[in-house]
Amino acid sequence: MLDIRQVYKAYATPQGPLRVLAGVDLRLAAGESLALMGESGSGKSTLLHLAAGLDLPDHGEVRLDGRAISSLSEPRRARLRRERLGLVFQQFHLVPSLDVLDNLRLQARLAGRESPDWTARLVARLGLAGRERHYPEQLSGGQQQRLAIGRALAPRPALLLADEPTGNLDETTAGEVLRLLLELVREAGSALLMVTHSPVVAAPLDRRLRLSHGRLGEAPP
Amino acid sequence: MSPLGVALATLLSHYRRHPGQLALLLLGLWVAGALWSGVQAINASARDSYARAEALFDADLDRLTPADSRPLDHEDFVTLRRAGLPVSPIVEGEVTAAGGERLTVIGIDPLTLPGDSALASPGAESGLEAFLTPPWRTRLAPETLAALGLSRQAAGGATPRLAGGRRLPPLAPSAALPPATLVMDIAVATQLLGRGDGLSRLVVPAGALAAAPPGYDLERAEQRLAPGELTASFHLSLTAMALLALIVGLFIVQAALGLALEQRLSLLRTLRALGVPGRTLIGLLALELALLGLVGALAGIASGVGLARALLPDVAATLSSLYGAEVGRTLQLPWHYWLGGLGVTLGGLFLAGSGVLWRAARLPVLGLGQAQAWRAGYQRQLGRQALAGAASALLALGLWAWLATRPPGEGLVAAFGLVAALLLAGALWLPPLLAAGLAGLGRWMHRRPLVQWALADLQLQLPRLALAMMALLIALSANLGVGSMVGGFRLTFLDWLDQRLVADLYLRPTPARFDEIDAWLAGRPEVAERLATASGETTLLAIGDAETPRQPVALFGITPGDTLKPGWPLKATLAGREAAWRALTGGAAFVNEQLAIARGIVPGDRLTLAAPDGGERLRVVAIYPDYGNPQGEVLLATPQLRHRFQAASGSLGIVLADGEAARPLASALRTRFDLDTTALRDQRQVKRVATDIFERTFAITRALNALTLAVAALALLASLLALARERRRQLAPLWALGVPRGRLVAVQLAQLGMAALATGLLALPLGLAVSACLVGSINVAAFGWRLPLHVFPGGMLLTLATALGAALLAGGLPSLALWRTPPRALLAEEAP
Amino acid sequence: MRGWRLLVVGLLLAGCERDPTEPRAGFAGLGADAEGFPPLASEAALAFPEDHGPHPGTRLEWWYLTANLRGPDGAPLGIQWTLFRRALRPPTAPTSGAWAADQLWMAHVAVSRGATHRVAERFARGKVGEATLERHQAGVTAAPFRAWLDDWHLESRVAEGTGDALDRLEVSAEAGRGEAAFGYRLALDAQGPLVRHGKPAFGEGSAEAAGPIYLSQPFYRVTGTVTLEGERLAVSGRAWLDREWGNRLMAPRHRGWDWFSLHLASGHKLMVYHLRGETASDTTLFGTWIAADGETRTLDAEALSLMPLTTRRVAGRELPTRWRLTLPDRGLDLTVAARHPNRWMATSVPYWEGAVTVRDHEGGLPRGEGYLEMTGY
Repeated sequence: MLDIRQVYKAYATPQGPLRVLAGVDLRLAAGESLALMGESGSGKSTLLHLAAGLDLPDHGEVRLDGRAISSLSEPRRARLRRERLGLVFQQFHLVPSLDVLDNLRLQARLAGRESPDWTARLVARLGLAGRERHYPEQLSGGQQQRLAIGRALAPRPALLLADEPTGNLDETTAGEVLRLLLELVREAGSALLMVTHSPVVAAPLDRRLRLSHGRLGEAPP
Repeated sequence: MSPLGVALATLLSHYRRHPGQLALLLLGLWVAGALWSGVQAINASARDSYARAEALFDADLDRLTPADSRPLDHEDFVTLRRAGLPVSPIVEGEVTAAGGERLTVIGIDPLTLPGDSALASPGAESGLEAFLTPPWRTRLAPETLAALGLSRQAAGGATPRLAGGRRLPPLAPSAALPPATLVMDIAVATQLLGRGDGLSRLVVPAGALAAAPPGYDLERAEQRLAPGELTASFHLSLTAMALLALIVGLFIVQAALGLALEQRLSLLRTLRALGVPGRTLIGLLALELALLGLVGALAGIASGVGLARALLPDVAATLSSLYGAEVGRTLQLPWHYWLGGLGVTLGGLFLAGSGVLWRAARLPVLGLGQAQAWRAGYQRQLGRQALAGAASALLALGLWAWLATRPPGEGLVAAFGLVAALLLAGALWLPPLLAAGLAGLGRWMHRRPLVQWALADLQLQLPRLALAMMALLIALSANLGVGSMVGGFRLTFLDWLDQRLVADLYLRPTPARFDEIDAWLAGRPEVAERLATASGETTLLAIGDAETPRQPVALFGITPGDTLKPGWPLKATLAGREAAWRALTGGAAFVNEQLAIARGIVPGDRLTLAAPDGGERLRVVAIYPDYGNPQGEVLLATPQLRHRFQAASGSLGIVLADGEAARPLASALRTRFDLDTTALRDQRQVKRVATDIFERTFAITRALNALTLAVAALALLASLLALARERRRQLAPLWALGVPRGRLVAVQLAQLGMAALATGLLALPLGLAVSACLVGSINVAAFGWRLPLHVFPGGMLLTLATALGAALLAGGLPSLALWRTPPRALLAEEAP
Repeated sequence: MRGWRLLVVGLLLAGCERDPTEPRAGFAGLGADAEGFPPLASEAALAFPEDHGPHPGTRLEWWYLTANLRGPDGAPLGIQWTLFRRALRPPTAPTSGAWAADQLWMAHVAVSRGATHRVAERFARGKVGEATLERHQAGVTAAPFRAWLDDWHLESRVAEGTGDALDRLEVSAEAGRGEAAFGYRLALDAQGPLVRHGKPAFGEGSAEAAGPIYLSQPFYRVTGTVTLEGERLAVSGRAWLDREWGNRLMAPRHRGWDWFSLHLASGHKLMVYHLRGETASDTTLFGTWIAADGETRTLDAEALSLMPLTTRRVAGRELPTRWRLTLPDRGLDLTVAARHPNRWMATSVPYWEGAVTVRDHEGGLPRGEGYLEMTGY
């Protein structure tokens, strides 16, 4: 479902162009989960952004469901994101002016696919029951990240892209959140592409790849 | 809900969490809309009155007046009609309503009145027969009913009583008529006015006569100034003030929008990451702007109408005392007024919001986490602003140079442009000046860490405060400028009153008894001098040998004796004051400044005026100031005026001998000649009436001025309140580092106070420059007189105090909140 | 001004309760009651010169002159000069002041030739029966006879005491400006006496229903000048002066009238009045046969018949511009036809007034000329 072929990406910096990706190939089947590992600055987030259509490659192709993202217009890419993808950020990026419930179903509503049963189930499973009318700032860090995961999964996306989803959490909370994330991804039937630097976090996923010097390689389990 | 609706609701949810910003936005729109549309409502209402006055007959009819100044009567009319001339009679005069309001009575002959006159439209039951025969009909505008103490429902057919006890013919309201005007058949009008067969004038269709018949003068319709033209300058001034208010209001809007956007930058990025296209977001932001604009503008227009309703009586008084133009005291709003108000407010909103939308449109979707990057460009922006300010200052200089080459009294629009360019230059320069000042101070204060921090912090806040400060600067300068102008005018006017009102008592005898009373006073030992006046109307025919467009001028006679001469102000003389006074006694003339400026008359010119014996040629030996007079006036010695123009006697000023009291003579006069209270006034009374008129005249200016200043202070307050929460977060680390809360509050107040003081100091020279423009150019063009430039140190102090007060008040409330916040909460707030 | 003008006439000719914007009401109103005005005696004796002057005790009155003229080239010209008086209220004690009004005066002036038809209208307020009458904008004095509004006038050229004041008249009027200016100055010399018509009463017996008093001087020979379309023309021809006063000019059942004043080639004059009602029974037809010496014979509906032949659309109305007029007793069967249909008087109360030709109905031999007035269409 996600097919990345020979992707190159470089950024202009005052010190000259900085090559981040140099011929990356990556395939992800439906329902599969994959951990993308690598050093800080190795280009993991860039690859994730390319997969989300938030950015475009200099060369190569990113295909989602067989369609080349780079050939789509911005509104079509946005639509693809809205309807097929879920995104979880390290910084959560919740909407401070919306309450928990509205944050949770924001993307589902934007995609026009809100399912009350699934939403209710997510609230219960994420341990946010009773806090539906609270605002993000009133939640703990773990709760906020769980909410961000719920927001991404509420429309049952075909592919969930997660960027260090537990990076801002303490170890215990991180474990809990990760377990929940994987369970829910399975329940939603989504594929998962997760960027992480932690082998512990990567361990439970189906596959693990490591990005270094702009190329992908198998990572030890 | 549709995805679009969800996205819009998400954007708008920001205001639910930050109602202060919403309030600020709406407040800005509301005040901008209210002041602008209020003034436009006044202007629209006045224009409606002028249009109706012009439609009455004056615009399109020529007038016939006797070549000598004998009165017209029925016989003139019949003689001319029977000679085949299509003349129609008009009698015009004033009556006083029971409530004291003065109303113009116009008597017409509908059978001969030419043209498509507004009088022609028949009222509901005012058929011609009813109009022409007893008990006749009084046709009047519905808004005139209030002056007669009647409601619209009770009006039809009512016969209200006038002050003298007489009754008006049954009323027939007609919306097409101008306010404060009663139109009726000439038969009953002459009775009501006690005119006998006398006429005010004869009118003929425009162009019907190739030349005046022998013994008459023909005044062409196009030679007359319509009231709309005379008062245009006044309305332009009002509009300028309203524009100022609009701009200040839009400054608030821009500040609020900027804040609301900045705080939603990460939200915008999140939404784009969640799949809302960028263009959709811009569209939604524009929609948000439109929704807010609609609410704010409608509220503004509604309040504007209320404001106009409150101010209109003062405006009407001003127009009537400055220009003699009658304006209705109730609002008459055409449909396009509403659309126009909405259009201007919304247009201004989009102008203010366009920068915000542009910034949002250029927002990189991947900038997640690096919010407020655009602030880095602020330094560059300051540079551009300084350049724009310089351009604006150059424009002002150019306009000033151009105006200096024009004859006085011209270029009203350019003069307003000059003021606008000055204000704009000042406003644009303010942030760069503040930034430079702060940077300099910071270097100088590097040994005092807290001060240095405060300066650096203020520099950081500058982008957000700049707009509010600019608004404050504009309002302060305009306030100081207008305040100095009005204050200077007031001083000059009071001086001038003192110089002109030299007698102790003023007596207004009927012409028939004038000589009798004068003779009696001549024999009284306590009377030191009698100052007889006379007045009349004539037409200016020529200046030198050049014929001028015929212009009606007033004639006024004074008694140039020992009491009057020393104080009477003169602006220019031919050969010194003494010589001028001698020449006046000998038959020469003075002209007032208005006439001199309008016609370019200088001492030494010879004027030809229409007189009973043909044209009287008079030499002008001096020009005198004549504040508050809408008309050109020629001054002569009373005996000369009465002899050469057969003018009616006017008032009689009585100067008492030293040590004599006015009261005994006044009561002696009252008993001896059976005078009523209005015929005899003492000097204090006259001065009080004149001063009252003056104060009312400028009440509207003062009110608008104060409102604008209040709006600017509000803008500053609102901007600071909006920033307050964020400020507390920035202060928390300092507190954590060991700075006591008291110091923090003090530092914050000091920061704001300094910025405001700097703004106020810049406003002083700017205000003076504005005042100089008002006094030197705009006044001359608008009113026809030039005033000396007065500087009021008190006013300047007040300006500084206002700036400081507004800033401290604005800073005080957040500081109070800071003071009350438990220290721990400060740090808790620091977390995201 | 339109509003007033319509109003003026609505009121001048009609009762004041009528809607003045409905022109027909103006003529229909001439049949309305005239409350407060003393009734006219049906067989009132007349006294001259007093009866040449105004009768302020009556509601309505007119001095109505029409002339069939020819210019130097023989082309026919028509002129009209009319002064109407209407009392604003029944006679009471006069109100003081020069402007006080109890009478409304209205004057119509028209000159027509071919397709050209020039019309002017003026109004004035008046007070009748005052010593200073001649110092008013409009009025009529009996001795010396003079009727005027502004500079438009009709006045006697007869020295006092040497004959009837109407025997020799001068009429003069100027109107319009520039290219549209028109007017005339004519001398009128009567070749026969003043005649009185037997206008029937309209009502059924009541004194107030008495018809108006109706006189004519149909015998004028005319010479003078006419100004039209920038030309000054020497003209000559015949004229007919009508005098009528009363409180009502027709009965309530009447809708309007057709009036014929004909100069027959035989030297006879013929006046025909056709007061139209809704139905034939509501219609009144009468006339006067006037011999060259002034002897009159009143014609009633038996002695006359009148039938419209052709109608033309004029000013949005259907107007009969050709008529068949028969006087069986005199063996006359005539066609009376307008010289031109465009003689519409677009005055405050509009009506049709224009010159006509008279021919034999069979054969079309010319038998005379005259004027036709049609109101209430």
